[in-house]
Amino acid sequence: MPALTDRAWSPYLAGALLGLLQIPAFLLIGTALGASSSFVTVSATLASLVDPAIQQIDYAAKHLAGAKNWWQVALVVGVALGAFLSSRLSGTLRRGIAPVWERALGTKSPAIRFVLAFAGGFLMLAGARIADGCTSGHGLSGMAQLAVGSFVAIAATFAGGIAVAHVLRRV
Amino acid sequence: MSILSAVLLGLAMGVVFGFVLEKSRVFEPAVILGQLQLRNFLMLKIFLSGVAAGLVVIGVLVATGLAGLHPKPALWTADIVGGLILGAGIALAGACPGTTLAQIGAGYRDAWFTLAGGLLGALTFTYLEPTLRPVLLEGGAGKLTLDKVLGVPFPWAAFGFAALLVIGLVALERWRPWQEEIGTNTDGLLPPPETAASAAPAEAASRA
Repeated sequence: MPALTDRAWSPYLAGALLGLLQIPAFLLIGTALGASSSFVTVSATLASLVDPAIQQIDYAAKHLAGAKNWWQVALVVGVALGAFLSSRLSGTLRRGIAPVWERALGTKSPAIRFVLAFAGGFLMLAGARIADGCTSGHGLSGMAQLAVGSFVAIAATFAGGIAVAHVLRRV
Repeated sequence: MSILSAVLLGLAMGVVFGFVLEKSRVFEPAVILGQLQLRNFLMLKIFLSGVAAGLVVIGVLVATGLAGLHPKPALWTADIVGGLILGAGIALAGACPGTTLAQIGAGYRDAWFTLAGGLLGALTFTYLEPTLRPVLLEGGAGKLTLDKVLGVPFPWAAFGFAALLVIGLVALERWRPWQEEIGTNTDGLLPPPETAASAAPAEAASRA
């Protein structure tokens, strides 16, 4: 029986629970699970403090207001809280940088890792916004709705990810 | 729904989402990088289980008329170019947009830089969107879904595809049991490739 204090659950149980989260998303919010458009809502809100003209861009305006946008921002904030809670309960709280990076990059330098993480984050969200979805929106939700565009986007995501991961050292 | 109730519901759903992501270990950079280097298949197991469960759930919601679909339109250029860049970013970040927040919650320091880079990436796209839009909207097929391509009702196509995924997952589990991919520190880190490669012949030699 899986317990809240377990360090890991079966990937199949975890996956099934992620699928069940579509129920409140569809029935109460009228949308599917997603994560990447919240980055537009938050960054455009911050940018509007110094550049109010950003609200003239339709794409920004579409992401600034409305219950669905702020629902997704709250969702990703909740993800951080939930992960904190889970790792606290199981005693798997992490510190610093994951040991896999020393293997993948061949260096312990935090500076190099931070620069790469920033670049990775930039590409990740630029790509997700170009494709109009990420591993959640296109992956979990798009494929579960049999959306043909989502199958193409996820195939391209794995292709790009596999290619770049092979440039790094073997982990 | 008011913004306040949407935010409260989002927070509650997010806590469950993040809790499950942490328990599944798919937020671990070693799990994501291991998957992309085709060494650890934990990520695929979680991802495809999530899709299969979603197919069943959404199939039931559609069959009972409780909800309709919200598929994203198929836009070939945007899906392929965006997907490739997204994948490159995932490999360098060792995270995807959602799991970045789970990494922050679990305590990884570098995830804050992934988040900052992500916000700047999303903002850069926002400023460029009016210029990029004509290119991105080229060559689309609209909100095309597989059930329409096959000419069968959505729930049947969804249940059928879910069944195929379950068969695939059973095969994957037989090939690579998940407990062997979790790693000693539940971070998905497997023994280094060199030792794993050199240990196998040594083991074979000792058996002989």
